[in-house]
Amino acid sequence: MPDVRDTVTTFIRENFIAGRIDVAIDSDQSLIESGIMDSTGVLELVEYLETTFEIKVADEELVPENLETINNIIRFLASKGVSS
Amino acid sequence: MRVCDLLTSSAQKAPERTALLHGDRSVSYGELEGLSNRIARLLAESGLEPGDRVLVVMENSMESAAAYYGILKAGCVSVEIHDRTTPSEAQYYVKNSGAKACILSRTASSRLSDIDAEVVLSQGEIQAVASRIVIPWAQIEAMDSTRPDISVPEDALAAIVYTSGSTGAPKGVMLSHRNLCTNTAAIVSYLGLTSADRVMAVLPFYYVYGKTLLNTHVMAGGSVVINNRFAFPNAVIKEMVDKEVTGFAGVPSTFAILMNRSIFPSTTIPTLRYVTQAGGAMAPALTRRVIEHLKGVPLFVMYGATEASARLTYLPPDRLVTDKLGSIGIPIPGVEVTVRDDQGNVLGHGEVGNICAQGPNIMQGYWQDPDETAKALKPWGLVTGDLGHKDAEGFIFLTGRKKEMLKIGGERVSPKEIEDAIIASGMVHESAVIGHPDELLSEVPAAFVVPLGEDGFHLAALQRYIAGRLAPHKHPKYWHVLRAMPKKPSGKIDKEALKHELLHKVRTA
Repeated sequence: MPDVRDTVTTFIRENFIAGRIDVAIDSDQSLIESGIMDSTGVLELVEYLETTFEIKVADEELVPENLETINNIIRFLASKGVSS
Repeated sequence: MRVCDLLTSSAQKAPERTALLHGDRSVSYGELEGLSNRIARLLAESGLEPGDRVLVVMENSMESAAAYYGILKAGCVSVEIHDRTTPSEAQYYVKNSGAKACILSRTASSRLSDIDAEVVLSQGEIQAVASRIVIPWAQIEAMDSTRPDISVPEDALAAIVYTSGSTGAPKGVMLSHRNLCTNTAAIVSYLGLTSADRVMAVLPFYYVYGKTLLNTHVMAGGSVVINNRFAFPNAVIKEMVDKEVTGFAGVPSTFAILMNRSIFPSTTIPTLRYVTQAGGAMAPALTRRVIEHLKGVPLFVMYGATEASARLTYLPPDRLVTDKLGSIGIPIPGVEVTVRDDQGNVLGHGEVGNICAQGPNIMQGYWQDPDETAKALKPWGLVTGDLGHKDAEGFIFLTGRKKEMLKIGGERVSPKEIEDAIIASGMVHESAVIGHPDELLSEVPAAFVVPLGEDGFHLAALQRYIAGRLAPHKHPKYWHVLRAMPKKPSGKIDKEALKHELLHKVRTA
């Protein structure tokens, strides 16, 4: 199984910054404040996480603690039993 | 009355009252007045004169609000643009508006470090070069906090607000102090805003609807809660409860997110007194769900245009519930809205024609564009470009847009601007962009391209090029690679045929 972190990072890179490799994504950097994702971006990401990792994300879980940074996303996925 | 007088007046009445709240910070009217006075003095001292344009690239913040009023107090003209603007877009706005100065937030400064304005006031670090003066934000503190003695007439230009035109390049809508003040007063009146009101602002201030939230509450002496993180709607809803907001404003996509992917349907905001919706027609089914959830809290459906300072009509909430769902309502105080044919003749009830408007809120014209101004401003008022009709009671119903402008999440985007950028890549022969219906954003751009050569075309490379050139909301969400464009007999690309193909799922790249 491919690395979860790589999978998520690749999705964000390909979908929100059109694959640009000149834009660095730090694992602790806010994907919102940096302008990488907006409100629809978060929903696209959630849809992707749900289908790719076969999990269900409740509306209550759409919070910064779970989705603000790549590290938060990885922790959130781990709490749902998804890890590399 | 000038727009900046709204702030000075509220600051004189109750300097200690809270004006803005942002995260853990808040600022009183007295403090906001002082900060904007300092910015005005700094601009004047840097050589700016009344009438000079100042470009502002900032996300909503206390500082961006202070910058706005500061620019106006210096007698200058505020030119606020999308905070995610790319360097090439920003350069267009600087050049087109002839902006002498530019004010950048920290994030904007990292992206627009090469911006070509004589004076740059920046929250982030920017290198000074020979051709421009860079002023660090901290320098504001050294200025006197009293309002400088600079006054401009009420008809003086206060803002240039860029809006996409059918010709492609964004046009600058010229709004005077009188335009903005009269529109602000009308909104305060029909919403019944007072100093007890507190609105949650998730809409950007560079957008006229967002700006009305700031100006109306400053006029009423109320307060504005700034939250730029609607990406996490639940956090916004919780803040609405915690900060005891009385009002909320959104575009259709805001409500789609709230109703479909948030805790909004299961949350009660005890202090909420009213909700407003503008920025494009919302699907009646969604409006019904919002009304149902609000349980008696009035929903004001509103309609307007940048060219009208923001607002033209509103639907009284009781009529929305009883019998006028689907209508954009009646004109706001002081405004006359008519339905006319192309010659300007007023049409009868039920007859579809051009929605036109007259009033003190109608723009002075498009910046340095007499041709477009003449098309929009007729002797019988502003021709909005929308088509619609009035019923026997005078309630207005929209039936469509005359032009083919896209409305993405409340923002008007010209397909031509995107098509032009695609062509500029040098990778394609032809391009056409149309709107694709989208549940969240009303519509999103769908691009059709015909590659320049059969071999060596990489869609990903084109997407990267567009990402570096246009703001994110203008990036096509759907791409379709065609061998040839369907054409009309005139040789023009047949967009209706493309729309038809889109419905029947063309070959997707």
